[in-house]
Parts: sequence; structure tokens; C-alpha cells
Amino acid sequence: MLETGAVKGRLVAGRRPARRAIAALRRRGEATLRGPAWLSLLSVSLVGFAWWFIHAFALVPAVLLPGPGEVLATFIEIVRDGYRETTLWQDSAATLARCCAGFLLACLTGVPLGLAMGYKPRVRAACDYIIQFMRPLPPLSYLILLILWLGTGNASKVALLYLTAFPIVASSAMAGVWTTKLQRIQAARSLGASEWQIFRYVIFPSALPLVFTGARIALAAAFSTVVAAELMAATDGLGWMIFSASHFLRNDIIIVGIVLLGILGMLLNKMVLLVDGAVVHWRGVE
Amino acid sequence: MSMRPALGSAWRALGERRVTALSLLVLVLAWIGATEGGLVDDLFLPGPASLWSGFLDLVENGYKSRTIWEHAALSLERVLAGFVTGAVAGTLVGLGMGYNRKIEAFFSPLVEFFRPLPQLAYLVLLIVWFGIGETPQIILLFLTAFPVSAIAAMDGVKSVSVLRMQAARSMGASEWQVFRYVVFPSALHEIFTGARLAIGVVYATLIAAEIIAGSTGLGWVILDAGRFLRSDYVFVGILMIGVMGLVLDRLLLTFEHRIVHWAGRD
Repeated sequence: MLETGAVKGRLVAGRRPARRAIAALRRRGEATLRGPAWLSLLSVSLVGFAWWFIHAFALVPAVLLPGPGEVLATFIEIVRDGYRETTLWQDSAATLARCCAGFLLACLTGVPLGLAMGYKPRVRAACDYIIQFMRPLPPLSYLILLILWLGTGNASKVALLYLTAFPIVASSAMAGVWTTKLQRIQAARSLGASEWQIFRYVIFPSALPLVFTGARIALAAAFSTVVAAELMAATDGLGWMIFSASHFLRNDIIIVGIVLLGILGMLLNKMVLLVDGAVVHWRGVE
Repeated sequence: MSMRPALGSAWRALGERRVTALSLLVLVLAWIGATEGGLVDDLFLPGPASLWSGFLDLVENGYKSRTIWEHAALSLERVLAGFVTGAVAGTLVGLGMGYNRKIEAFFSPLVEFFRPLPQLAYLVLLIVWFGIGETPQIILLFLTAFPVSAIAAMDGVKSVSVLRMQAARSMGASEWQVFRYVVFPSALHEIFTGARLAIGVVYATLIAAEIIAGSTGLGWVILDAGRFLRSDYVFVGILMIGVMGLVLDRLLLTFEHRIVHWAGRD
């Protein structure tokens, strides 16, 4: 790193002071590793300021864009009184419960199938084309069918999330098996490991990093799908709250819902990352 | 006499594809058996015959005053408009973010907030602001594609080997030349991976957006047909959406192989 800077410094010496200054800045940036936090703060506060500015000078009607103060007041009000006979916790819990139910079911079935598909070419031949067809299908396109089959209750939503997460989880588990180094399998075999031992102690640990990567992607996909499903047919959940508020032009409630969903999404992602870090401690350490 | 061994060896030469063929056959037979045998109502699961007639009907007569191709073209137009603008803007920002830590620090809170946010949550707000029509849908798709492309481009730039940059610099390359001839080509592979990811998300989001806010496009056809319990139309719509998505992905992949012909040859 330092060498690069030195070479660069010599190249530009005396000719372009501005560029030399930039080179010095970049060198310092490389040394601190993380970008300067004040710039992140600046960008967040710029957005906040723009929001306040537009509201304060009434550049758009207040109905369309409520100010930060109003949104905060609405948030407190919803936390205290709830929204249309459901508390905010019920709505958040309903959304999270649907999301997690579909996701966990998909993991429980998709990971074993994916591992088997990676391990046994015959299993792959029998199932792969179905999964590869389902993967790019927009989940909402078959929600109508699921509603037709399973009704408008939770069953159709959980099934939808299951079908959203399943192909992602299964294909990444399959790809994970393929990342196993052949030498390791051969080494284990030459030491007298049985088929099952090879699978349990060589292939499975090698596949696990990709299994978790797939789980993270699948959870994110399930989370955005659950909101979509709640927009279409639900009587509780954060997606329902947003959609219902839009009928009454309550944009403050919509913004509260969006921010909550953003935070929940980030938390879910962090959670999988934490589990990932705790379980797959050998990731990237080869 | 000579036919049977020939057939047998051809069958064996198919290898694992035999299993695929068998599983497909079982699936199709189960479908035909369930529908034609009257186990399942046509309303819930249309049989092959009614699916085919539904397809022909859609192709000949269109759906609600538009041909099915017009609906498909409208969906495609929106996807491309949102994807191209979002991917180009996202890639530019992502290149900057990967190259300079200050740019990264500035943009990352926004990108990190938008990435996990369910796209349809802010569709509602966009509709209130811009009305029902093309504008909110294309803005939605732009916002969908942007963070995905930005993060892919950023990761691409960060994975450029320092050795190559040093080599170029030691031979006297200017900052711009290093970027243009070393960083950018090295990042291109990941940029394309990001683009494929983005077009997938954009496509899924569009169908969802049409279902909630549209009155044209394949997504809307499915929703509307579902309301009238025309499950044959729904199935045809889903199949068309699936095939279209597959074609889009393949096109991008071919494009990628053309341009990034050096991928995987390091």
C-alpha cells in the first residue's frame, strides 16, 4: 500500500499539485480502511435536511409529504394506540412470523434436497429443471393460484414465501457441494473414511458457506415478497398497514411503515450474518 | 431386430437426462391424470387441452382490447427503461464507491437502506406522489436496480488485484489510465453479474407492481384473469412470464460472454 503511494507520489511530483493532494488523501484513506464516518453522517443529514426543507417551505403539499415532526408524532401515536385495531407489534410480528415460517420451511426441505442434488447426479437430474424454472418466476405471479388453492389466509402466504425461498436455498446448497475440493475427498477416502463420513465431515462443511449465503439471499427475497403478499390480501401485517393507509392518504403512516420495514430488513440480514459468523467460522480461512 | 439395440444404446447415451425425462414424464402424466380424470376441478388446475385452447384464445383475441404481445411488450419496455437507467446510474456510483472511500462513505447509508427494503412498500408512496401510470413504476424499477448494481460494481472494483494497479503505475500510467485500462476491465465481470441479478429483481418487481398498480402488462393480465377465475389464462400468463425472464437472462449472459471474453482466464 505504502509503496504504491510512494511510486505514485514520485510520478506526479512537482507537476500537478492537485493530483498530489488527491494521492495523499487516497493514501490516508487506505490507511484508515473504513471510510470517514462524517461523510456517512453528512449524506444522511443531507437527506433529512432536504426533507425538512421541502416540508418547511411547502414546496409540495403537506398531504403528499408530511414533515419529519409529523411522522415522528404519528409513529408515537401508532406505537401507543395501534392502527385500526391492530397494534404495531401485532403487525410487525405478523409480517415477521409469515416471513420466517416460509423461510424456515424452505431451509428445512431445500437444504437437504440441494445437498442431495449436488451429491447425486440422479437426484439433480430429477429435480433441477423444476427448480431452475421456478427460480426466475416472479412470486407474485403465482400468488393468485395459491389463493385459489389455499384461500386468502396465512396458508397461501406461507406457501408463497416457501416457494420464493426454496429454489434459492436449494440451488445454493447444490452449488456449495460443488465447491468441495476433490483432493480433500480423496484424502479422506484414502484414510479410510466411509461414504457417510466423507459427506458428514468433508462435503457438508465445505458446502456450508454457500448454504448460508443462499439463506441470506432467500430471507431477503422472502421479506420483500411478504410485503407484496400483504398488499394483496391480508388484514394485518406492516404491508397491509401501508396499503390501508394509502387508501386514506395517510402518508405519515406510510413513511413510518417504510422506515420500519427498512430497519427490520437490515436486522434480519444482520441476524443471518451473525449466525453465519458463529457457525461457519472457517469461511474465507483456507 | 436391429432397431432395439440401437434405441437402447441411444437411451443409455442420454445418461442422466434419462432421469430428467422420466421425472418430467411422471409429472406430465400426473397432471393429465389429475385433470382429465376429473380429480381436480378445471377451475383449480386446467388440463393440457384447456391450457392450449386458452393460449390460442389469448394469442388470437388478446386480452381486454390489447393483444397478448402488446401486454408483453409493455412489460418489457418498463423493465428495460427501469433496468437500463438504474443499472447505469448504480454502476457509475458503485465504481466511484469502490475506487474512493469518501464516495463510499457518502453513498453507502442510502444504498444499504434501500437494498433490503421491500420494493413494493415504497410503490404505494410513489403512486400517491406520481399517480397511477408509467412514472411511478419506472421510478420503482430504477430504485430496485440501483442498489444491486451499485454494490456489484463496488465489489468488482475492490477485488481488482493491487499487483496489476502497481504494475500499471510503475510503467507510468496516469490515474485515469489505471482506471480505464486496469480497474474497469477487471470489475466488468462482476458488473455483469450484478446486472443479471438486477434484471431478475427488476423483472419480479415489475410483475408485482403491475399486479398492484397497473392496468396493462403481463402481471396485470394474470391478476385480472385470476379475478374472473380464468385459471387457464393465469397459467398461460405465468408460463409466458417465466419464458420471458429466461430469455432476458440468457440474452444478458450471451452479451456478457461477448464483452467479458477474458472472464475466468486469469
